[in-house]
Amino acid sequence: MSSEVKEFKIRWGMVIDIDKCTGCGACMVACQAENNVAPAVDGSNKLRSLNWLTVFRLSNHKPFPDHEVAYLPRPCMQCGKPSCVSVCPVIATDKREEGGIVSQIPPRCIGCRYCMASCPYHARYFNWYDPKWPGDLAQALTPDVSTRMRGVVEKCSFCHHRFMKAQEAAVAKGQDPMNLPDGAYITACTEACPNGAITFGDLNNPTHKVHELIKSPYAFRLLERLGTDPQVYYISKREWVRREGDNYLEHEKTGEATKQG
Amino acid sequence: MDRRGFLKFAAGGTVGLVASPIIWNTLYDAVYWTQNWGWIPRLKKGASEYLPTVSKLCPSGTGFLVRTVAGTPVRTIGDGNNPVTHGAMTALAAAEAELRVSPARLKTPLRRSSDGAYVAITWSEAEMLLKEKLAAAGSLVAAVSGDPTSSINEVLSSMLNQLGSSDFYFMPDEEMPAAAAWEAMGGQGRLGYDIEHSDCILAAGAPVLESWGVVAANRSAFNRTHPVAGEASQKLIYAGAVQNNTAAGADLWLPVRPGTEMTLLLGVANLLIKAGKAGFAAGLQNFASFVSAYTPEKVSGITGVPAARLEEAAKALASAKKPLVIAGSALGSGGSAGPVMAAVAVNMLLGSVNREGGLVDLPFPVSVVSHATEYRETIRKRFVDYTQSVAAGRTKAPAFLLIHAANPLYSLPADSGMKETLDKAGFSVAVASFMSETCEACDLVLPAALGMEAFDDVQTPYGSGRVTYALARPVAKPFADARSAGELYIALAQELKLDTGVKDMPELLYKHAFALGAPFRSMMEEGRVHPASTSLPASPLFYNWEAIRAAASAKAAEGDLQVAPVVVLGMGTAQTAIPPFATKVVTDYQLKGKLSVVQLNGATAAKLKVQSGDHIRLVAGNNVEITAVVAVFEGILPDTVSLVAGLGHTAFDEFSRGKGANVLALTSVSREPGTGLPVWGLAGVKAVKA
Repeated sequence: MSSEVKEFKIRWGMVIDIDKCTGCGACMVACQAENNVAPAVDGSNKLRSLNWLTVFRLSNHKPFPDHEVAYLPRPCMQCGKPSCVSVCPVIATDKREEGGIVSQIPPRCIGCRYCMASCPYHARYFNWYDPKWPGDLAQALTPDVSTRMRGVVEKCSFCHHRFMKAQEAAVAKGQDPMNLPDGAYITACTEACPNGAITFGDLNNPTHKVHELIKSPYAFRLLERLGTDPQVYYISKREWVRREGDNYLEHEKTGEATKQG
Repeated sequence: MDRRGFLKFAAGGTVGLVASPIIWNTLYDAVYWTQNWGWIPRLKKGASEYLPTVSKLCPSGTGFLVRTVAGTPVRTIGDGNNPVTHGAMTALAAAEAELRVSPARLKTPLRRSSDGAYVAITWSEAEMLLKEKLAAAGSLVAAVSGDPTSSINEVLSSMLNQLGSSDFYFMPDEEMPAAAAWEAMGGQGRLGYDIEHSDCILAAGAPVLESWGVVAANRSAFNRTHPVAGEASQKLIYAGAVQNNTAAGADLWLPVRPGTEMTLLLGVANLLIKAGKAGFAAGLQNFASFVSAYTPEKVSGITGVPAARLEEAAKALASAKKPLVIAGSALGSGGSAGPVMAAVAVNMLLGSVNREGGLVDLPFPVSVVSHATEYRETIRKRFVDYTQSVAAGRTKAPAFLLIHAANPLYSLPADSGMKETLDKAGFSVAVASFMSETCEACDLVLPAALGMEAFDDVQTPYGSGRVTYALARPVAKPFADARSAGELYIALAQELKLDTGVKDMPELLYKHAFALGAPFRSMMEEGRVHPASTSLPASPLFYNWEAIRAAASAKAAEGDLQVAPVVVLGMGTAQTAIPPFATKVVTDYQLKGKLSVVQLNGATAAKLKVQSGDHIRLVAGNNVEITAVVAVFEGILPDTVSLVAGLGHTAFDEFSRGKGANVLALTSVSREPGTGLPVWGLAGVKAVKA
């Protein structure tokens, strides 16, 4: 069990500009379709429905007419120090591979759900029931991601199969698979966002846009003072949005932890 | 316990354990939980292809690549090479590969039998029936289309014209009131909006980032003008009753009471004139004196928009280089022409007509089918006038009624006369891809192929700033026994010896491409989209202040509370209902179990003595009553309740049926003063704690 922190040459990460997100949900649909997440008859039941990526509505908690709204898409944070990995008794989830994506191997999962309890982002979901694709819906399954069975936990993988494909394509072209150009590998949600709110790339690679974006004074991460070191960053010029990212005392300012991270 | 007692207990326990199902259940579970899962679908392997085409289900004609695996579509991915939508997707277009095989998809022609149940019939039986019924109907034929961008409409209107009927209609949409308004102000072409090049947009009632106009193109423009973490080159001001998705992307939100957008725009006009913005055209003086009564205080009182914000919006428009004002309706249909007239007038004041980043005069699509009605004529015709007239017995009921790509029973108000028209029609036919409420009420239901399964086209959707032409190409086989609606109508016309001048859909599309000078071959082979470079002489616009005054005299809605509907494409359209892969996009502030969720602000909740989670009954003026769950949300005007549209389906599949209430049930048809347009009056509602 790897509770130690591993250093990676490549760290895939995401920067989500909350000021650009309008909450349309195209990313959620694309994610489900790409990763063969079964549809839910009542998707409005957020306790039972299973999403690798969920869009939350944020509020500045002010009364009308000073109220403001924002939307926050939440994939798996692919934490640098993932709390889920250290609690998994069967190494069904790990952070070991170059790229820094937290893996999840459903056939190995025994369904103890310790990882769900330890994830502070609620990014992990349990298959309470067998997934169902009624009628002919199973015809539209993609060939890239195995379907999961009931009794196991699943989560966002940053569309890891796309990483593998991009590496294969690079090898075929005689390029270095460990130095992919910006945009050669992006997730389905990044691709689907009509507003361009999601930027994806290697946080360590100076030629990738995300490398610069995370240095923005408006960048922050969710609950970053827990020390999980997420690889998903958010950007908002609005102070109240940034404050929603963590539990701040009244006198505390945002941005301190990001600078340290 | 003695030794005998212990042995008795142990023996009893062993017998009991063996006799109980514990061991067998444990064994069963062990086997069950350690097996490979035969009933979990296996993945289909095969060669992947990414084929460009356009969506015919998404109203913005989103350009996407259909990923097929061994010939079966599995994904739709935004097409970055599409010059209209630039790779932007909508939640609906993203779910289209799965919609293609959804449980609601129609598989075979169905005919209603004498006991009311549907029986499957073959296509040749269906075609025979169609021919027989059409021939017997004479000129008493009517048709309505829910897809105004398709040239299939020309085939339908041509057939009807040759049969002696002029009853071909489009379903009410966003363009109808806009076309009436543009014409009233002297516009001679088709109203277009150069959103992409504007640096300041005021969208009054028009949710430009969610459901108004060419949404995918609007979002793509929003993306390009709003760089990540950078300075935006376009300011977006949204006026609407609810902080919806568009408000989330807007720089400034003007909370405007539903139905008072026109007053807001007249208030803006007044402020602009005072600021010296007075683009000259005939009628300016009269218009200026008319709007001078719309002072910020008065406008604020009527619309609910704080005067300071109104002034801020006017200032932003006045100081922008390329401002653009757009008016539209939250529902996307049944809107009034008045707000659009006011918006055109404001654009005229700002000099934002026929220049980059302003309103543009576009040519209307031209018909290439012989005897077809021109688009500009069809857009003027009002389907609801026809249905209400049939319902009232003033017009003879059609002997043959064809409904193409539309679901009017769901998407029109209850008093539109649609139900009565269907009941009175001698024979009704629905050509659709999904089993909708309207299909369930028709005598014959024919399964239509989707855009990705047949030849079709997208001609400049309303809201665009330029003429565009895209082909929908068959990149996959039609699902089950579905067929191309276009081919069906052309073949039917040939059977009836009617002259359409085209032998099949590719020829029809070729003629359109040729008329626009579009490269048909590369469009067909590579899925290219053609942006045409057409220009029209500027229309002689004038401030038609009399028409504006008449439209502004519309009565305000009555009732304790105003209803503010919210349209989201994640809920699909009336034709698709909620796509199976979009149910999770539906939030718990839109739907809770089987009940719609009504959003209202804290002040309204306190007045009604309700809190989040309570059940509430909303009673409309037309005595329709719906029960909903309360969610307190501060991004909404006081005395206003918001409901999401797209719920309350009684047909389709388990993903849509029986969920929530249809917000259109609360509306009733009224006529706009001056234009006489049928508009969906969102009459006020009374609320009672349930």
